[in-house]
Amino acid sequence: MCGCSARTTARPGGRRDASGGVSHGQTRGTRARSRIWKCARVGRDTGPPELDSSWSCSELDLNEIRLIVYQDCERRGRQVLFDSKAVHKIEEVATQKTEDVPTKTPAKCCQGGGSGSLSSHGSSGGSLPHAKEQLPKYQYTRPASDVSMLGEMMFGSVAMSYKGSTLKIHYIRSPPQLMVSKVFSARMGSFCGSTNNLQDSFEYISQDPNLGKLNTSQNNLGPCRTGSHLGVLQGCGGKPPPGAAEGGPLRLSRSASFFAVHSTPVDMPRRGQSEDRDSGIARSASLSSLLITPFPSPSSSTSSSSSYQRRWLRSQTTSLENGIIPRRSTDETFSLAEETCSSNPAIVRRKKIAISLIFSLCEKEEAQRNFQDFFFSHFPLFESHMNRLKSAIEKAMISCRKIAESSLRVQFYVSRLMEALGEFRGTIWSLYSVPRIAEPVWLAMVSSTLEKTQLCQRFLKEFTLLIEQINKNQFFAALLTAVLTYHLAWVPTVMPVDHPPIKAFAEKRTSQLVNTLAKTHPYNPLWAQLGDLYGAIGSPVRLSRTVVLGKQKDVVQRILYVLTYFLRCSELQESQLACGANCGPDGQAPAGSSVTTALERGEVEESEYVVVTVSSEPALLPPGPPDADTGDLCPQLAGRGGRGPEQSPAARSVRRPRGASCGDQESKKEAARGGPARPPSGAGACVGPAGGEESGGEVPTKLPDRSAARPCPEGRPWGRPPWEKVTFHIGSSVSPDSDFESRTKAVEERLRACRCAEPARRPPAGPDAAREARDWLAPRCSRAPEASAGARGVRTGAAREAAETPGAPADPTRALRKPWGRGGEDADAPARSGREDAGFGREGGLPRNESSDSALGDSDDDACAPASPALGPGSDGDSERDRPEGSPEVELPLPRSQSISSPHVRNFGRSLLAGYCPTYMPDLVLHGTGGDERLRRCLAADLVHTVQHPVLDEPIAEAVCIIADTDKWSVRVATSQRRAVDGTKLGQDVLVSSQVSSLLQSILQLYRLHLPADFCIMHLEDRLQEMYLKSKMLSEYLRGHTRVHVKELSVVLGIESNDLPLLTAVASTHSPYVAQILL
Amino acid sequence: MNAIVALCHFCELHGPRTLFCTEVLHAPLPQGAGSGDGPGRGEQAEEEEGGIQMSSRIRAHSPAEGASAESSSPGPKKSDMCEGCRSLAAGHPGYISHDKETSIKYVSHQHPNHPQLFSIVRQACVRSLSCEVCPGREGPIFFGDEQHGFVFSHTFFIKDSLARGFQRWYSIIAIMMDRIYLINSWPFLLGKIRGIIDELQGKALKVFEAEQFGCPQRAQRMNTAFTPFLHQRNGNAARSLTSLTNDDGLWACLHTSFAWLLKACGSRLTEKLLEGAPTEDTLVQMEQLADLEEESESWGNSEAEEEEKAPVLPEGAEGRELTKCPADSSLLSDGGHWQPRKLSVFKSLRHMRQVLGAPSFRTLAWHVLMGNQVIWKSRDADLVHSAFEVLRTMLPVGCVRVIPYSSQYEEAYRCNFLGLGPHVQIPPHVLASGACRVALG
Repeated sequence: MCGCSARTTARPGGRRDASGGVSHGQTRGTRARSRIWKCARVGRDTGPPELDSSWSCSELDLNEIRLIVYQDCERRGRQVLFDSKAVHKIEEVATQKTEDVPTKTPAKCCQGGGSGSLSSHGSSGGSLPHAKEQLPKYQYTRPASDVSMLGEMMFGSVAMSYKGSTLKIHYIRSPPQLMVSKVFSARMGSFCGSTNNLQDSFEYISQDPNLGKLNTSQNNLGPCRTGSHLGVLQGCGGKPPPGAAEGGPLRLSRSASFFAVHSTPVDMPRRGQSEDRDSGIARSASLSSLLITPFPSPSSSTSSSSSYQRRWLRSQTTSLENGIIPRRSTDETFSLAEETCSSNPAIVRRKKIAISLIFSLCEKEEAQRNFQDFFFSHFPLFESHMNRLKSAIEKAMISCRKIAESSLRVQFYVSRLMEALGEFRGTIWSLYSVPRIAEPVWLAMVSSTLEKTQLCQRFLKEFTLLIEQINKNQFFAALLTAVLTYHLAWVPTVMPVDHPPIKAFAEKRTSQLVNTLAKTHPYNPLWAQLGDLYGAIGSPVRLSRTVVLGKQKDVVQRILYVLTYFLRCSELQESQLACGANCGPDGQAPAGSSVTTALERGEVEESEYVVVTVSSEPALLPPGPPDADTGDLCPQLAGRGGRGPEQSPAARSVRRPRGASCGDQESKKEAARGGPARPPSGAGACVGPAGGEESGGEVPTKLPDRSAARPCPEGRPWGRPPWEKVTFHIGSSVSPDSDFESRTKAVEERLRACRCAEPARRPPAGPDAAREARDWLAPRCSRAPEASAGARGVRTGAAREAAETPGAPADPTRALRKPWGRGGEDADAPARSGREDAGFGREGGLPRNESSDSALGDSDDDACAPASPALGPGSDGDSERDRPEGSPEVELPLPRSQSISSPHVRNFGRSLLAGYCPTYMPDLVLHGTGGDERLRRCLAADLVHTVQHPVLDEPIAEAVCIIADTDKWSVRVATSQRRAVDGTKLGQDVLVSSQVSSLLQSILQLYRLHLPADFCIMHLEDRLQEMYLKSKMLSEYLRGHTRVHVKELSVVLGIESNDLPLLTAVASTHSPYVAQILL
Repeated sequence: MNAIVALCHFCELHGPRTLFCTEVLHAPLPQGAGSGDGPGRGEQAEEEEGGIQMSSRIRAHSPAEGASAESSSPGPKKSDMCEGCRSLAAGHPGYISHDKETSIKYVSHQHPNHPQLFSIVRQACVRSLSCEVCPGREGPIFFGDEQHGFVFSHTFFIKDSLARGFQRWYSIIAIMMDRIYLINSWPFLLGKIRGIIDELQGKALKVFEAEQFGCPQRAQRMNTAFTPFLHQRNGNAARSLTSLTNDDGLWACLHTSFAWLLKACGSRLTEKLLEGAPTEDTLVQMEQLADLEEESESWGNSEAEEEEKAPVLPEGAEGRELTKCPADSSLLSDGGHWQPRKLSVFKSLRHMRQVLGAPSFRTLAWHVLMGNQVIWKSRDADLVHSAFEVLRTMLPVGCVRVIPYSSQYEEAYRCNFLGLGPHVQIPPHVLASGACRVALG
């Protein structure tokens, strides 16, 4: 236990490796190696927490975070209210200047604030006199030249009538910058033009000779000009500034931007603005969270219901399917009035204030990507801090108004804003660069299967060590009680499931229910994870953090490490849906979506089924074939690549080539014949080959190019033996030649036919219809009318006609020849190989790829049957669609995709569990630090802020911080609800749950008995489950009660009063009413 | 992913227009959640409604289209549309793709059919093309608010030899209500949408070059410099994207790409969430099931289920007969007045205790826990059934063997809960021994 100290230094290399082949290029091999390496390291070193930062801080230059505040007033246009780039620190010189300022001014303004608003913003009031000394620190010069462009970006080129706040993100290419902006409607107080004063003040600055000299604006503009740049253009309030006459460079043309040619100005409909407000989906989270209507519960079992429900609810509330569900009211405005002033409706003029933060990105690509990853994945945190910054700006604007003297006012304002910006920068920087716990125990156990035993041993060793050594006066038990009480995400992980376990603990199951939900109703896993980490899964919703204080770094680190077992969340994986190799050498993916048929082994049952898909190979590139041919060709090639020539009926998958289409188009004969053949057995069998050939025939000239052009995926990603699957690529685009179209259709038909089960679509009845149909049909490749036709044909003679019609465009002769030959052959020789086909094609004089298609054709029969279930879903709707016009949407198969998953490291589980930090930090779910000064200073405000601007985008009832002090061996809980009465202490002491302390004891004893680590951990899990079950009991008992005496509980249920807070919290995750009764 | 992806165009004649948009339709209820119990009810019903709405929505628009040959209902009037503003031809029903595994459907039309969504998409389109400013005019932007949803937009040009400036202005937008999700997906969306755009641009460029080669517009325009606007206003101004890219299958491809984009983005990140070990009861149940399967041949279903490895029943200490009647008169009479089905059923142990009265209930519970046979006589089989359902919660699953309603007495080794009709005789030895008997109306 000695080597435990100070492993804080980053091990970037190791970390990167460890975090697992995230980079795509990394092979399994390397990953494995790194793992081993890590293992070894672990083995060597008994030290506790390995810390590391996942993001290297050097990439972020603090001063490169720029703040711009802009105002857009209906009448007066846009004005820059602040640009941090225009602020320069002045050292000595300016100090003199401010010394002249009568010291009483600040005092006066304090009084002026009268209503107490100033003092209510504690910090601002308090530091006002203090601010005076700082005033000279900043010099506001001319805003950078790009502001007007930036203003345009912030507000847009057309005014919006929307009253709420608008969020925007822009990416600026050069120099690379990310700009986040929020645009608010300003809420004015009785005293309008507050910012006018500010404007005046800016003027003042610029006019001031002293300042003017100091002003080192690069362009050497005179003070006057500078002044005008500062947005002097207000027509009303201010005295006309000297430079105003020139017309401010800042005035932006209000005309819609040049490209908005005929568009009418957008007046956003204001649906629901008031509704929202009235609906009273209130801020008071406790209420709303308690009133949440029940969700469909996963099943009668309780398994993971709480996590499940949270996720389900999220997916529902953000659903777009049936219109928008009004969300919590969003009357976020920018307040220019003090709370006390009633806003004067007459003055509610359209005034908007925009706040922008601009992050300069490193030129280095990787660094840039790192920061962007961080930024986009951690956006909720950025946003929350941005809101905080906004409040600070509001306050500064309000309070600076009271300062009579202009220069002082500006100084005050600027320094306030710089202060707030400094805070923001600091927070972001530390968030980005904080040392993190490299391997949170729980996440490591969830994700890695390899070293579970070592992990368990290591964890257990640390755990028992803490139990033995730091449980003085129940410190550790208290800490664990608090953590289990507030970071509730462990609960779902111990909720019993109602389905069979595979194995013991080691194989603890992943929740199927949640998995399914994620697929059928995708929600944002990052968001879910964040909620888990903060323990925001109970009711009322509480957001919790834990800070471990202590001068002894190693102790703190050990504690942090152990806690990462109890602070649980889901592990994220990133899966990339690969749609196929993107093979086009010319960067042009194999155009044309391809229809793929593959034999899949059923995931559930043993049986195989045929999957037919259209995939646009080019990783999402639209299949649009540059030249139609290519598109078409692709199919064959791919097909070939995919399956060997030998692939025979045995393969079962049927490639029903154009046959179908041919069939239709080609002729009745086909139909007649094919018909009978198809429906019963796999239909289409006969047809199969024909299609392939046809296409070949038609496009003879193009063939070479295409093949060259498209290196079609021999190595289709899905790793099935080639013969197992058949791939059809069909250019979905129809070239002008009808042939392609028809071909496409044909294929589809075949596919269609495959799905015998489905009622096939019929071709348009009349020729006209047919034509029309094809016009738009072309693309709509999947549903082959012909197919149905074929099928029909079989049954009814009438089908023929139908078949003919669509086929019309195809050239008749061909149709005639082909179908016959083909059909006949196919039918006869099902096993016929690709070769033959090829031969055949040549006979026809067509340089055909040896499409092995034909071979497939035969075997269809088998395929058909299985196919239908697979394709099932489509079937219901289809039946009704007889005519194109009346019919519902044309069905196109989804590209088949294969997902390749890799651990996703840029997630909250890896970033918010931090190690020993230099100072207290607001966002981290868990961290340790040495001193508590900053904690004392900021905590209360942080907690309040957390509640007001919840990062989770849902109302929060309470924010909580658990503070474990290893110097004083105390554990306290501070909350946003009760201000600590006693100023010297943070929060309240924690009641030690006897459940928890007995758990600790029993683990310790088991460990001492040298029971295997796995076993001890299992026991630990069982004890946690027991807590859950007790909470279940408690909630059952409380059902229907309105009030219960604690004594009653202990008598009846044997629940001790010190367990009650813990059990209540646990119960609140599954039974919301419990909190109402007991709290 | 709860998003809509759309392709928008800034038409030189008509301003910003939505050309093509792909929506996601989810199954109303997640799979596996169907068996939701009590608490789920309300929401479930609501959901079903949603489902109905949804399907009716789908149904609704199709006839309309058929009838009026006007594309989807809320769209702009035909007169306002030129080739450039249109994607799918009038009367085209749109595209749909089914994701079988997840029962998600991806549907594409020119406009969403839902009026609210229509306006949301429209807003987003207008904002993306004529309100928001993107430096360089081509590139990604994010914007939005709680009321109109949040939008990731990527604007781009498409070459057109006949257009003013030889290019046209488009955007691909993704709209979500979940801003966090959308922002989290920025890098992903950017990459994929960029890919789609590149492809479109590539195609258009080829067409453009071909056209320029055939008939250099610039030169021509120079010559006709005096009538530039005439030139612009004639039919050439409105070319469809399909002709600009010379790709008739474009819309189908876009549908596929958008659908894929939605799917891939929704499944990009997955969670691994562990859950707890099953309880003893679950395990026992599972064993029972397994055994049941094995031995189903030899036993009648219901009995077999209960017979499996039942623990030995302790003999009750004393037989006790509870004949309940008057105490329950309330219940009974209630049952008489209202639908007996619903009412005369025990809902919970607590309820049973109320009905039986504390002392009787206590006695009953004692017998149940002791393992004595409980015989419940009643005319109402449902009542008996419900009583046993409630009582069984007191015992481990493995210890429950129920014969819900029998016309003759069954021995204690066959069942510890036995429901009997009111007139069934109980053998004297049973009465004498430790069986608990409850008789209810």
